[in-house]
Amino acid sequence: MDLIELLKKKDRAAFKSVVETWQDMVYNTAIGILQNAQDAEDVTQETFMQAFESVASFKGESKFSTWLYRITVSKAMDHIRKKKRKKRFAFIQSLYGKNDQPVIDPPDFFHPGVSMENKENAAVLFKAMEQLPPNQKTAFVLNKVEGLSYLEIGEVMKITDSAVDALLHRAKANLKKILKDYYIAINKN
Amino acid sequence: MEDEFLNKKIDDVMQSMDGITRATPRPFLFTRLEARMQNEKNIWSKLSSFAARPVVAFACICFVLIVNAMVILMSGSSRNTITQQGPELATADEYSQVSYNLYDFENTKP
Repeated sequence: MDLIELLKKKDRAAFKSVVETWQDMVYNTAIGILQNAQDAEDVTQETFMQAFESVASFKGESKFSTWLYRITVSKAMDHIRKKKRKKRFAFIQSLYGKNDQPVIDPPDFFHPGVSMENKENAAVLFKAMEQLPPNQKTAFVLNKVEGLSYLEIGEVMKITDSAVDALLHRAKANLKKILKDYYIAINKN
Repeated sequence: MEDEFLNKKIDDVMQSMDGITRATPRPFLFTRLEARMQNEKNIWSKLSSFAARPVVAFACICFVLIVNAMVILMSGSSRNTITQQGPELATADEYSQVSYNLYDFENTKP
């Protein structure tokens, strides 16, 4: 029987097989968006839990991996929103003296899949990616970190491949501008 | 010259992700996932078994009935008070000799 059909019947072995087949894909996408290993692990677990719960709604109109990508991106974006909310709340608490712990920005993120000679440059690029709008960031991560084609990105984001092209063009232009400002500021100091 | 160097640096950074390989999660992800699912299942089953206790269910029904009764009683009595106070307040306003202005609110001291 098909793996997905078995998963719909809540078969444990099928679920294990699904997790083992797609865990790297889900984790790599999550870490590309979140830039934090612990957050990526949380989102990976949430993605598979969501997939297990709602597999009945998967009609097979798209590939199963596309469906998983969609859940991953949506969970990762939710995670970012929650984190921002927590950060804001902690800031407000600190204003009222209820929370003396300072809000610390995470250190530079080093993706484990980047080659040694590119590590420093990639860390700068990941930092710049944080300033991109969510859609541009998602498209850029799917293209650069996951290596998806424009067509595949379009299927995940439910947009046409020409829209993906425009989105990536804007993302690259924005990144170049952010990097230019960054290096000019460094040279001034 | 400086611009050239800057553009070269930006290009290098933009290309730094070329040839990137996939990051992999820590081993035994499925075991941790199962443990988490079991844990969440336990929380919900504990919550549902607590809510299904006859004492809890009866207490909830009583609470809802008491709140309903209080709302009905209070709305009935407040309607009476308004109707009784209405003409009295209107008369008091009509014959009031006190006039308020902004100056009075700010200077309460004689």
